[in-house]
Amino acid sequence: MIELRNVTKYYQTKHERKYILDNVTFTIPSGVNVGILGRNGAGKSTLLRMLGGIDFPNSGFISSPNSFSWPMGLAGGFQGSMTGRQNVQFVSRIYGKSEYEIKSVIESVKAFSELGDYFDMPIKTYSSGMKSRLSFGMSLSFDFDYLIIDETLSVGDKNFQEKSKKALRKKIENCHILLVSHSMPVLKEMCDVGIVVHNGQLHYCDRIEDAIETYNQINR
Amino acid sequence: MVRRSSFSIFKSVITALFLREVQTRFGTKKLGYFWAIFDAMLMVLVFAGLKAAIAENAMPGVDFPVFLASGFLAFFLWKDIVNRSIDAFGANSALFAYKQVKPFDTLVTRVLLEILVSTMATLVFIVIGLYFEFDIAPQNFNMVILAVLWLVVFGFGVGLMSAVFAHFYETFGKIVKVVMTPLIFISAIMYTVDSLPPVLRELILYNPLVHFMEMIHGYYFAALDTKYVDYEYMLYWTLIPLYIGLYFYVKGERRILST
Repeated sequence: MIELRNVTKYYQTKHERKYILDNVTFTIPSGVNVGILGRNGAGKSTLLRMLGGIDFPNSGFISSPNSFSWPMGLAGGFQGSMTGRQNVQFVSRIYGKSEYEIKSVIESVKAFSELGDYFDMPIKTYSSGMKSRLSFGMSLSFDFDYLIIDETLSVGDKNFQEKSKKALRKKIENCHILLVSHSMPVLKEMCDVGIVVHNGQLHYCDRIEDAIETYNQINR
Repeated sequence: MVRRSSFSIFKSVITALFLREVQTRFGTKKLGYFWAIFDAMLMVLVFAGLKAAIAENAMPGVDFPVFLASGFLAFFLWKDIVNRSIDAFGANSALFAYKQVKPFDTLVTRVLLEILVSTMATLVFIVIGLYFEFDIAPQNFNMVILAVLWLVVFGFGVGLMSAVFAHFYETFGKIVKVVMTPLIFISAIMYTVDSLPPVLRELILYNPLVHFMEMIHGYYFAALDTKYVDYEYMLYWTLIPLYIGLYFYVKGERRILST
């Protein structure tokens, strides 16, 4: 369960405040996979960052008894000078894994992400697809109540996409996802409920199909 | 998922950040080890050479290279803590994507790393000192260590304050870094306060680093004393920047995280 109470978040532009959430009070119920839709710049990624605890509302509160993964996305989350391996070590350590566990995490991430020799190259040499493969591969090795995924399921070739979806389906037997995607088939397949972010408000729909319908109306 | 106490998270994060900093500092550039001692070594050679060229031993009972080495090692420890603190947020900002990692942790990590680097440099100096048969045994080991640890806390306070200010006003960080170079000459590193004319003496004692250097030198060498050291003044300079730094850090943490 995630509770938002009077949450306001804006960005200050040169002339005005651009509201992403304008005094939103809202509860995301437990036990459902949530798809998040919205136009570019509507604030989907910011919403994910706030739910993940690394960005903060200008006023109001977000609270949840659950644990969240880091936001897995195409951008950010990696220090360019670190190699893929070093990054996996780093994340394992901050989650308190023992050196022995870290070895097995490294092996599984290396195998899943299909980075090959790039696994020992600095992340600044990676393409954005490679970054999300690494990020997604890592998240599979940790236990969270919610996985926060920002568009990463549509990277890589067909083969890798299939593999990711399969891994994710297995993963969500034990946890739930908050998924931002522009791909309607992926949303339909993975999510139960939907939230449309539009004009500073959240529109909640009990069925993901309704959320997609709402989103299509906004775009019309 | 098992809930961990905030202290155990803090420990894991510091460990992870520390090992990452060691990797980037010494792993990718093999010269990292070299630079760690090069600064201090160069200064000792230059000033010991100058001194030998212009004057006979003006400090009886003191091996001048040892005097220089102790001062420069301490000064560079302090300087590096402050300088590296200023860059700490920027250099680790991508890692703030993991909510366990707080900007404060990156400062603590860098202080610990500088202590490690300085310790290694000191060991190298000790080996060289033994080889050339300098008198390197400190007169009061415990008080020297206390002075150095106090200097570390002083550096941490100034570093924290500068890091927070520099995050919001970039110029501040640049000014601090520019000030570091002249500080070398006005911090009683290569001379004692006692050797200065009275007018200069009064002026230079406003510089808190002078008190730390005098404390280190005074307890290291039996021939020198600590009569110019004002402990109260040192305490103010330790606590006030630390307080200001913490105050603005707590107020600004979220803004540092979200940029």
